[in-house]
Amino acid sequence: MDYTDKQQSENLKNGDGKLGVVFGDVVLGVHGEGFEYLFSYAAGGMVSLVTKGREWLYRAPMPTFWRATTDNDRGSKFSFHSSMWLGADLFLKTERIKVWLDGEDMDPFLAPDNNRFGGEQEARELRVAFSYTAATVPKAQVEVSYTVKQDGKIQVDVHYCGKKGLPELPVFGMRFIMPTKADGFRYFGLSGETYPDRMAGGIKGEWEIEGLPVTPYLVPQDCGVHMDTDWLEIQRSSVLANERRALGQREKDKRFSLGFEKVDVPFSFSCLPYTAEELENATHQEELPPARRTVVCILGAVRGVGGIDSWGSDVEEPWHIDGEKDIRFSFAIVPVWDQD
Amino acid sequence: MDTRKPELGWLDDPEVFRVNELPAHSDHRFYETEDDFVNGKDSLYQSLNGTWHFFWSKNAASRPVNFYREDFDLSGFETISVPCHMEIAGYDRIHYINTMYPWEGHKYRRPAYSLENFRAQPGQFSQAEYNPVGSYRTEFDLEKGLLGKRVCISFEGVEQAMYVWLNGYFIGYGEDSFTPSDFDLTPYIREKNNVLAVEVHKRSTAAYLEDQDFFRFSGIFRNVTLYAKPDIHVEDLWARPVLREDGKTGELGIALRLSEKVGEKQPGLKGCQVSVVLRDRQGGTVFKKTVPALEKISLEPEILPDVKAWEHKHPYLYQLEVRILAGDGQVVEIVPYEIGFRRIVLEDGIMKLNGRRLIINGVNRHEWNARTGRVVSETDLLSDIACFHENNINSVRTCHYPNQIPWYGLCDREGIYVMAETNLESHGSWQKMNQVEPSWNVPGSVPQWKEAVVDRMRSNFETFKNHVSILFWSLGNESYARDNIQAMQEYLEEKKDGRLIHYESVFHNRAYEDVISDMESRMYASPREVREYLENSGKKPFILCEYMHDMGNSLGGLKSYMDLLDEFEQYQGGFIWDFIDQALFVKDEVTGREVLRYGGDFDDRPSDYEFSGNGILFADRTPKPAIEEVKYYYGLYR
Repeated sequence: MDYTDKQQSENLKNGDGKLGVVFGDVVLGVHGEGFEYLFSYAAGGMVSLVTKGREWLYRAPMPTFWRATTDNDRGSKFSFHSSMWLGADLFLKTERIKVWLDGEDMDPFLAPDNNRFGGEQEARELRVAFSYTAATVPKAQVEVSYTVKQDGKIQVDVHYCGKKGLPELPVFGMRFIMPTKADGFRYFGLSGETYPDRMAGGIKGEWEIEGLPVTPYLVPQDCGVHMDTDWLEIQRSSVLANERRALGQREKDKRFSLGFEKVDVPFSFSCLPYTAEELENATHQEELPPARRTVVCILGAVRGVGGIDSWGSDVEEPWHIDGEKDIRFSFAIVPVWDQD
Repeated sequence: MDTRKPELGWLDDPEVFRVNELPAHSDHRFYETEDDFVNGKDSLYQSLNGTWHFFWSKNAASRPVNFYREDFDLSGFETISVPCHMEIAGYDRIHYINTMYPWEGHKYRRPAYSLENFRAQPGQFSQAEYNPVGSYRTEFDLEKGLLGKRVCISFEGVEQAMYVWLNGYFIGYGEDSFTPSDFDLTPYIREKNNVLAVEVHKRSTAAYLEDQDFFRFSGIFRNVTLYAKPDIHVEDLWARPVLREDGKTGELGIALRLSEKVGEKQPGLKGCQVSVVLRDRQGGTVFKKTVPALEKISLEPEILPDVKAWEHKHPYLYQLEVRILAGDGQVVEIVPYEIGFRRIVLEDGIMKLNGRRLIINGVNRHEWNARTGRVVSETDLLSDIACFHENNINSVRTCHYPNQIPWYGLCDREGIYVMAETNLESHGSWQKMNQVEPSWNVPGSVPQWKEAVVDRMRSNFETFKNHVSILFWSLGNESYARDNIQAMQEYLEEKKDGRLIHYESVFHNRAYEDVISDMESRMYASPREVREYLENSGKKPFILCEYMHDMGNSLGGLKSYMDLLDEFEQYQGGFIWDFIDQALFVKDEVTGREVLRYGGDFDDRPSDYEFSGNGILFADRTPKPAIEEVKYYYGLYR
């Protein structure tokens, strides 16, 4: 840890400082001691999440609806019946953005109405909510809200609005793509790879995973889901920031982390170097592209994997995800200060 | 039929499947001296594994016909390892296909006699444009321990049909790829410079019976071993240990078949004696008996008042030692065999082992190695058994053919219950486009196909009958159910060996359900379907010979099946499909890295692609994540 980092962490621990909020013309920024988050109106989401000077986002996190077809999904024609969700996963439309400072609705805040602020605003809490429309028939709606606290913690509340006529979902969650490949991750949850219909053998505890292993199924498919998780910590040491890379080896060896925490109830997640679409496209492990990013999916609903057969029998009923019903889940993104 | 003259037409004739093969016999080892026995020294055996001369031909017409002659010029020959599949050695194409016959779409074929307009099919395989032939040749000198004795050869696995010559003389012909084919070489063998020639044909009528869902290989893929018989030799041993209802009284009947070396100065059996000793684990003598040597000996069951039972958790084995003693008391031959006492019975519609309801926490296991295919090593076997223990697996089905001989002994010692399946699968002849369509079907009730399948059953039974681990014989897999399958069941019933008989396909033809299979066996029935059967029938105990199809990321919902164990006494568990992914290591043509490839990756068509990858282990034997679930639930119902 260098001097500035240490200073920063000490300042941060008391969490007294108020949030500074910048109502830009395209981007809404919020910063506190040791962190800065940017929400883009244009991109329809959070485009930057910086803690201790390190960027955690490559592109804006978005709701995710697709899992790479498992052999059972293929055999039971599930992917055929639910293929709409693949398009939804790739192409999402932002409908609306809302902002609250300390509970006060800030509308209108887009240019030119933001001229009224006259400068940076102060707040104890910022809430930014995005409404998305998915390219399904009928169209599906998702609300994602980020509530930023003074200590840098972000609570994320996700609400999928079920609609009559929508097919079953392969998965539902929030997908975070990080700029570089993580060194590994730690979590408190079940051992191994678990799904709602295959989690009895998982042992609850703290687990540390080196690298971002992709379970080497003959045909790449959805994998690496961890059910019933209390917290998750992603560990990286590489960045895209050129000036940090210029610092060379000394900087390179440093690990920095970002945490995800449960809010009330445990969550499920996967942490892989690929998106569902990248996995979907490969017929062999060696066709997967070089692993260069970290794809963290925090999942609010996970479909079972099934097992009766692989040529027609569906996953058992309790482990389906009904597209016609609402799904709500919450979790928190937590900066990790006291490391190095 | 002249058995001295090989005929190519045998390939086309379902009624010819073994010529001059020795009768199937028990898989016992034998020693000539106490010293060899104590030290486990195999002086009477000589392995012929190694590098052989080899020539590959696309069909019989283009094969080197005279290659078996001693003076044949081998200059055009290459070399191959024995054992090894020809395809993995780089001759002929690797091909994976499931139910379809491998010639589907390439060639219109119907089995001989299977339809009114398809009687004998001369030339179907022998004159096929594509039916590769491997011409194998090796030279050897007899090792010291074999000199002056009767010498036989055992081919433990050759796919699918072979002709054998020694020193220019025709020895015999064999099919049934997965059971040993033994031949007597005595009349033609000499001390030095023996020339052994084996002509392996990729396909014959056996192809209709060996349509297993696996990579379609050919060649000599298991050990080739010479063995020498002492002057008097135990040809066959059938130890019949019985555990009585009280769980501690044992009975041991023993049947032996002896042979003698015939010759001028040979004393033969006359005056010889057979001594039988049974020892416990500590080496203590449990019983002892000596009788005169005869060609056939049948010892009345000996009552043993206090034996230890064999079962999964306590696989207690006794050592049986049979000694042939010459008139002067000199040992002629020693045959040791590890046996166990257990009682498998059907009682009140429930399968009970040693008086308790049996629960099968099983897996189906294909022999597989990602580098060598179905050529598996002792290391693979030991690793598989260790994995069974680690994950609370107590049973294995040898899908869908008899395994390497050492596997059964390992299961005896490790307490693994075995469903010993016969080498038979003909689903391409009645499962078409996922429908039951037996318009033409073998073995069916076609008289000309009966002996071939009964012989497969016989070879399986005779070879492995002494293994305590075998609780069930399985007549084969997915071959529909008609008269010839019934004939296999009848063959076994005559043996009265106390084991239970399994066959699943009778589910598709219930007309035979009273005469085929002691249990109701299904594959991939949903938990609801199992419940429906058990609520409405109850005729037979119920098992799933295949369930939890672990293809890719799967094995969800195991709990629903395990719950049935609590709900129904008659539900007795099942065998997960399956143990290990079948895929092959290949050097990636783009990156040069070693990668795993499956069906269709060898330009093999038609193919069923990744359908061969359903293991709880990946093809390289690392466990899939799902194994955690197997370990947990199988651990609950131990």
